[in-house]
Amino acid sequence: MSEYLLQMLNISKTFPGVKALDDVKLEVKKGEVHALIGENGAGKSTLIKILAGVYQPDPGAQFFFEGKEAKIRRPIDATMRGISIIYQDLSLFPNLSVAENIYIGRDSDKHSWKKVDWALMEKTAKKALKELDFEIDVSTPVEKLSIAQQQMVEIARALAFDAKLIVMDEPTSSLSAGEVEKLYEVIFSLKKRGISIIFVSHKLKELFTVSDRFTVLRDGKYVGTYHANELTEEKLITLMVGRKILYEKNKEKAASGKTLLEVRNLAKEGNFKDISFELREGEVLGITGLVGSGRTELAQAIFGINRPYKGDIIINGQKTVIKSSEEAVKKGIAYIPESRKTQGLILRQSIINNISLPVLKKLKNKFLLINRRKEIELAEHYIQSLDVRPPLPYRAAGDLSGGNQQKVVIGKWLSTNPKILIIDEPTNGIDIGAKSEIHKLLRGLAANGMGIIVISSELPEVLAVSDRIIVMRHGRIAGELGIHEATQESIMNLALLGQKGKVREEAQL
Amino acid sequence: MKAFLKSKEMSVAVIILLLCIILAFISPVFLTADNLLDVVKGNAVLGILAIGMTLVIITGGIDVSVAAVTSAVCVVLGKTMMFLPDSPLAIVLIFVIAPLFGVLLGSINGILVAKIQIPAIVVTLGMMSIINGLVLYITNGQYLNSSNFPTVFLKFSNFSVFGISIIIWLFIITAALTWYILKYTLIGREVMAIGGNKESAVRVGINYSKVQIFVFSYMGFLAGIAAIAQTSYTKAVDPNGMLGLELMVIAAVVLGGANIMGGRGTIFGTILGVLLLGIIQNGLILAKIDTFWQKVFTGAIILIAVSYDHIQYKRSQKQLSKIEVEA
Repeated sequence: MSEYLLQMLNISKTFPGVKALDDVKLEVKKGEVHALIGENGAGKSTLIKILAGVYQPDPGAQFFFEGKEAKIRRPIDATMRGISIIYQDLSLFPNLSVAENIYIGRDSDKHSWKKVDWALMEKTAKKALKELDFEIDVSTPVEKLSIAQQQMVEIARALAFDAKLIVMDEPTSSLSAGEVEKLYEVIFSLKKRGISIIFVSHKLKELFTVSDRFTVLRDGKYVGTYHANELTEEKLITLMVGRKILYEKNKEKAASGKTLLEVRNLAKEGNFKDISFELREGEVLGITGLVGSGRTELAQAIFGINRPYKGDIIINGQKTVIKSSEEAVKKGIAYIPESRKTQGLILRQSIINNISLPVLKKLKNKFLLINRRKEIELAEHYIQSLDVRPPLPYRAAGDLSGGNQQKVVIGKWLSTNPKILIIDEPTNGIDIGAKSEIHKLLRGLAANGMGIIVISSELPEVLAVSDRIIVMRHGRIAGELGIHEATQESIMNLALLGQKGKVREEAQL
Repeated sequence: MKAFLKSKEMSVAVIILLLCIILAFISPVFLTADNLLDVVKGNAVLGILAIGMTLVIITGGIDVSVAAVTSAVCVVLGKTMMFLPDSPLAIVLIFVIAPLFGVLLGSINGILVAKIQIPAIVVTLGMMSIINGLVLYITNGQYLNSSNFPTVFLKFSNFSVFGISIIIWLFIITAALTWYILKYTLIGREVMAIGGNKESAVRVGINYSKVQIFVFSYMGFLAGIAAIAQTSYTKAVDPNGMLGLELMVIAAVVLGGANIMGGRGTIFGTILGVLLLGIIQNGLILAKIDTFWQKVFTGAIILIAVSYDHIQYKRSQKQLSKIEVEA
C-alpha cells in the first residue's frame, strides 16, 4: 500500500448524457514520472480535474494520498495536500509579479486584512526559483515572460507549496526544442528529490524520454498500466486506439465528379503551412489530427473568417478570395463550427427561427417583411428530410437532444444551398445512435453531389464517413490516406509521428 | 523606471502636462495655485468615487449606482444634521453615519452580484433607479439648506490644513488608504488577482464572491466619504445634484488606464484621470468655450483611449492562439 503516493480507484464520472470516465484507476509511486495517455476525449482531462478537486467523481470512488484516504472537494484541498496541477493554459495572473504568482493562494479565506509581507513573499519566491536553478527578477509582471518562463513560475509555485505530486498537462505544447530539454532537466531534478510527476502528453517520443510508467485510457475506460520497458511507440498506439469497432468503415465508392474546391499552398503564420488538396463533387474528405494541429484554423481560412493567408483557394475552377463568411455563403460554402451551442444555434428560439436565419433575406416579401408561411414551410421541409425529432417546428432548439440539435444546425446551413459543406466535429457530445444517423445523413448529402469536409478527432468517425483522409500535424499535412488503406493505426502514426507505415524514431525534436 | 515611462499613467501625465502648457498660454489665471487648488477641490467628490470605482473595475465589475448612493447618503446626512448637537461630536457622528450607510447600500449591490450572480450592471442600474426614486420621495425634490446644519459642520467645511482644504484632504486620504489596501493587504491582492485571471483565482482557492462583496461594499464606504465631501463643498443637499455623475466617475477610471474588462488599474492612474477631466473642464471655462464642448472632448478622449486598449488586447490574444508550425 505504502508503495504508492497516490491511488485513485473506481473513478467514474458521468456528465449529462455522457459517461466521461468508467471505473478508471490511477496509481502513482513516490518519485516516479507517470505518463497518462489516451486519444482526444479518452478522459485524461476529466481524471486530472477530479484529482485537482475541480470535479467530484461519481459515488464509489476511492482516493488515497500518502496511504491515507483523502477527500478533495475544492482545488485548495488538493494544493494543501501537496498536489499541484500545472494546466496547459497555466493558472497565472498576468498582471501580478512573479513573486506574487508563486505566493498566491495562502491563507485566503481567513485573513483578508492581514498585511501582505512583500519581503517574505519575495524570499519564498526566490527560494523556490533557486531550487529550479531559474534566475529571474521576481518583481517582473508575469505577462512579460515567455511561455517557458511562465511554466517555470508555475513549477516554482508548486515547490513553494511543498508539492509531493505535480501534474503537468501537455507541458511542452508551447515550448521550443531547447526549452523542452530544460524542462526535462527540471523534471529529473524534481524526481531525484522524491517528487512524483504525472505527465500528460500526446508526444510519444517525449513520454518515453521522461516516463517510468504509463497509464493508458481509452474512451473513458482504463486500459492498463505498463512499465516503459514493456512498451514501444507502436504498441502504445495500439493500446490507445484499441480494437474498437463502433461504426462500419465506409465502403461506398466516391462518385468522382468535378473538382469543387482546390486549395493550393495555403499558409498562415502561426496556423498552418503548405496546405494543398482538392475536394470533388459527391465526396467526403476527412481532415483529422490532434487538437491544435491547425485543422479548425484551416477550415476557418477557407470560410473567410481567418485572414489573411497566403496561397490560393480555387472554387469551381476560379481563383477566389473570400473576405467574409457572407461571401463564403454566396459562393456556396457552409461551415458548421464545433460548438453548436455557442456558435451554431440560438437555443432559446424555435427550430423555425434557427433554420431560416441564414436565408431571411430570401424570405422577405415586397413589403420587406418576412414571409412567415414560407419560413415555416422551409423549416418543415428540413425537419422532415433530416428527421428531426420531435418534429415540432415551434419547439425551442435548446429543448432538443444533442443529435437533433445538430440536425437543426445542418438544416440551417442546407437552407443556403451550399455546394461545399465544412463541418467541424459533427458529433461532439452526441450519443452513439445519433452519431451514426448524422454519419448517414452526411453520406446521403454527398451522394446527392455535395462536397463535404468533415473535421474530426474521432478516428472511427473519420473512417465511417470519409472517402479520403487528410491527417494534419503541427499545421502541416502529414499525409493523405485513401479509405481502403486507412486504419486507426495508420492515421495515428501520421498524427503523432508524421509518417506512413512503420513506426520509426521521430525525426525532429 | 523604464516600465513606468512606458506605462499608461505616463501617457495620461504627458497629456495633462501638454494641456497645462496650452492653457497657461490661453489664460494667465490657469497656472495659479488658487485656480489649481480649486480644480482639485471641485473634483474631489469625483475623485473619491473614482478611487472606489477603480477597485470595482479591476475585478471586471461596474457600479452605475455610485452617484445615487452618494445622493442618498447626502440626504441622510442633511436630515440627521438637523438633530445633531452643535459640538465636535457632530463631526464624529457624521463620519460614522455616512460611511456606514454607504457600506449598507454597497453591500446590497455586492451580495446581489456575488450570491445571486446577476451581472453588476443590471444590479446597480436597478439600485440606481430605486435610490433616485426614494431620494425624490423623501426630499420632494427640494434642497436641504445649510441653515439647518450645525455651525460646527460649516466650520469643518471651511477648515484647511497647510492651506489645503479639508475636502482635498479627504480625497488624498482616501487615495492613500486605498493604495495601501490594494498593495499591502491580502484582500487587495485578491482584487488584483481576480481581475488578472478569474479562473486561475478560483483554481488557487481565492473566494471570488467574498472579493466581489468587498469591492462593492468598499465602493459604498467611499460613497459615504464622498457624500461628506459633497455636503461640505455645496453646504446644501441637492437631491438632483449628482445625476449622471456615475458616467464621469467611470470615465475618469478608464482614462486613468484601467481596463474595463478587469485586471488592470492603479490608484495613481485614476487620480490622473480625475485631474485630466477637471483640467479640461476648468480650461474650457477659462478659455470661454461653451461647456458642452467639454462633454464632446471628454467623450472623444475616452473612445480613443479604449480603442487603443482594445487593439492592444486583440494583438496579445493573437499571439496566444499560435500553433507551432513545423519549418
